[in-house]
Amino acid sequence: MERHWEIVSTWVLILAATIAAWSLGAATLPVPDYFLPPPSAVLSAFVELIAKGMLPIFVAESLRRIVLAALLGLFVGVPIGLLLGVSRVTADFAYPVLNFFQSVSGIAWLPLMLIWFGFGERTILVAVNYTVLFPVIFNALLGIRSVPQIYVNALRTLGASRWRIVRDVLLPGALPNIAMGVRLGLAYGWRALIAAEMLVGANGLGFMIFNAQTFHLTARIMLGMGIIGALWVVLDYFLLRPLEEATIARWGMVQR
Amino acid sequence: MMHGWRGDLLAVGRGAAPFALILIAWALVTRANVLPAMFLPPPADVARTGWDMLKDGSLWTNIGASVGRVLVSLVISVPLAVGLGIFVGLRRRLSPVFEPIAGFFNSLSGIAWLPLAVTWFGLGWVSVIFIMFNTIFFLVFYNTLVGVRSVPRIFEHAVRTLGGSRRHIIFQVLIPGAMPNIVTGIRMSIGFGWRALIAAEMIATSTGLGFLIYNASNFHQTDTILVGIVTIGILWLLTDRLVLQPIERWTVERWGLVSSSR
Amino acid sequence: MKASAMPVVAVLRHRSVVFLLVVAVAWGGWELFLVTTATVRIDPALQTALRERAPLAVAITLGFAPENFHIRLFQSYGIVSGVRGNTVLVNRVSPDDLRRISRYYWVKRISPQSESVQ
Repeated sequence: MERHWEIVSTWVLILAATIAAWSLGAATLPVPDYFLPPPSAVLSAFVELIAKGMLPIFVAESLRRIVLAALLGLFVGVPIGLLLGVSRVTADFAYPVLNFFQSVSGIAWLPLMLIWFGFGERTILVAVNYTVLFPVIFNALLGIRSVPQIYVNALRTLGASRWRIVRDVLLPGALPNIAMGVRLGLAYGWRALIAAEMLVGANGLGFMIFNAQTFHLTARIMLGMGIIGALWVVLDYFLLRPLEEATIARWGMVQR
Repeated sequence: MMHGWRGDLLAVGRGAAPFALILIAWALVTRANVLPAMFLPPPADVARTGWDMLKDGSLWTNIGASVGRVLVSLVISVPLAVGLGIFVGLRRRLSPVFEPIAGFFNSLSGIAWLPLAVTWFGLGWVSVIFIMFNTIFFLVFYNTLVGVRSVPRIFEHAVRTLGGSRRHIIFQVLIPGAMPNIVTGIRMSIGFGWRALIAAEMIATSTGLGFLIYNASNFHQTDTILVGIVTIGILWLLTDRLVLQPIERWTVERWGLVSSSR
Repeated sequence: MKASAMPVVAVLRHRSVVFLLVVAVAWGGWELFLVTTATVRIDPALQTALRERAPLAVAITLGFAPENFHIRLFQSYGIVSGVRGNTVLVNRVSPDDLRRISRYYWVKRISPQSESVQ
C-alpha cells in the first residue's frame, strides 16, 4: 500500500514537473513561437482537429493500412513461411533470400515503387505490406525449423501421419516464433507506414505531421506524434504482446 | 558434412545459390522485354552503374555518410542510454514510473520525430542524428531498465548475505544480469535505427543512401535506385554477420541466457 | 499442460478480446449515430433532388473555416468551385456521395447552391 502511494506520488510529481517546465520553456525561451508550443496549445490542437473531423480521418486511414498489412501478413505470410520451412531443402534455400529482403525495408523500395505506381495509395500499401510480410515469413520459417527433431521422431515412432506431425508438433512449436514475427513485422510496418505517408503525401498520420511542419503548426506535430506513439502502445499492449506471451506460455520452448 | 575449405566453399555456394537464381530470373525478365527499361533495367546495366559509382566515389561518399551517421548515433546514444537505464533501474521509486514513459517513447518511431526535428534544426545531418538518437536511446534505455529490474532479487540477497556492498551488487549482479536485455536492446536499435536512417535521409538531407535512391527516383534513374537497394542490403548483411551475430554469440556464451525481444 | 492453458486463455479473454469487443461496440455505435443524424444535415430543399440520379450543385456549410484538408476531401466527391466563409461550393456531386458527405459529424448543413450563403 505504501509502495503504491509512493509510485502514484512520483507519477504526479514527474507529470507536473514536466508540464510546468514545458510551459515555462514555451513562455520564456528566446525562440520563435512555433518552436515550442506550450502543452495547452497541443491540447487545443487536439480539440480543434477533432472538431474539424480531421484527426479521426487521419487515424482511420493509417489504421486501415496497417490492418490490411496485418491481415496479409497473417493469411499469406504465415502459410508461405510454414510451407518454406517444412522441408529442409527449401528452408535452407529461402533463408538467405528472406534475410536479405527483410533487411532492405519497404521504405528502401519506395523510390522504385514511386516510379512504378506514382504518388498514390498503391505505393504506400506495397511498401508497408512488404515491410510486414518478410519478418512474418522469415520467423514462421524459423519457427518450423526450430522444432526439435526429437519431437517429430517421437510422433513418427508412434505411427503418426505427416499431417498429424504438422498439426500436433510443427505448427504449435512454430507458434511462438510466428507470434514474434507478426509483432516484429507490424512494429517495422507501423514505422514504415508513417514514413511512407510522409513521402507519398496523400493522407494519414504521417502526412498530418509532415504537412503540419510545412505550416509551422508545431502543436499539431506534437499531437500527431503523441497519437502515433499511443496507437502503437495500444495495439501492442492489447493485441500483440498478449498473443506473443500466450503462445510462449503455452508452447514456448527455448531453442537456440 | 565436409570440413575445411571445401565445406566453407559449399556453405558459401549454398548461400549464394538463391541469389544467383534471382539474378538469372531478373535477367530473363528484362530480356523478355515485359516491362519498359525504366521500370526494371537489366542486371548488367545496374552492375555497370554500380561499378561507375564505385569508381567515381559517389557510392562511397553516400555509404560513408550513412554508416557514419549510424556510428555517431550509436556512440552518443548507447552509453547514455545504458548508463541512465542502470541509474533509473536501481531506484525503486523511479523505475516503475519511467518504464511506461520509456515504453511510450520507444513506441514513437524514429521517423515520427522528423517533422519536429526539421522544425528545430532544419534540414541536414543534425536532424538525422537527432532522429537516430531518439530511435536508439529510448530502445536501449527501455531494455536496460527492464533488464535491471528483472534480475531476481534472490541474487541480490545472496550477495548481501555474503557481506557484499552495494557496489558489489551493482557490478556483479545487476549489470551482468541485465546484459542479455541490454544487448538485445542494442541489436534491435541497430535494426530500427538503420531503417529510420534510410527514411530520414530521403526527406531531410542531401547525402546518404536514402537520399541517393529517393533522388534517383525523381530523375527516373532506376539503375541507381537498384544499386542503392543492393548496397543497403549488403551493408545490413555485413553488419549482421560481423557485428550482431558475434555479439549474440558472445552473450550466449558468457551468460548463457537469451531473452525475448521487446 | 491443459491446466496451465486455462489461465493463459483467461488472460487473453481479459485483455485482447475485451479490447476488440470494446472497439467493435464503440465503432458500431458511432457509425449508427452518424447515420441517424445524417439526414438532419441535408436541407429539405435537396431531399427531392436526392431521389434523382442527376449530379447536384451544393453548398456545404461547416462550423469553421475549411482547411486545405476539407477542400481536398470534397474534391474527391465533386468539383470545388469556391469557398465563401465557412461554406464550400461543390458541383457535380452524385446523390450517393451527398449522403456520404452528410454522415460527417463536422458538416453543419448541406444546402442547394442557389440559396445565398454567408
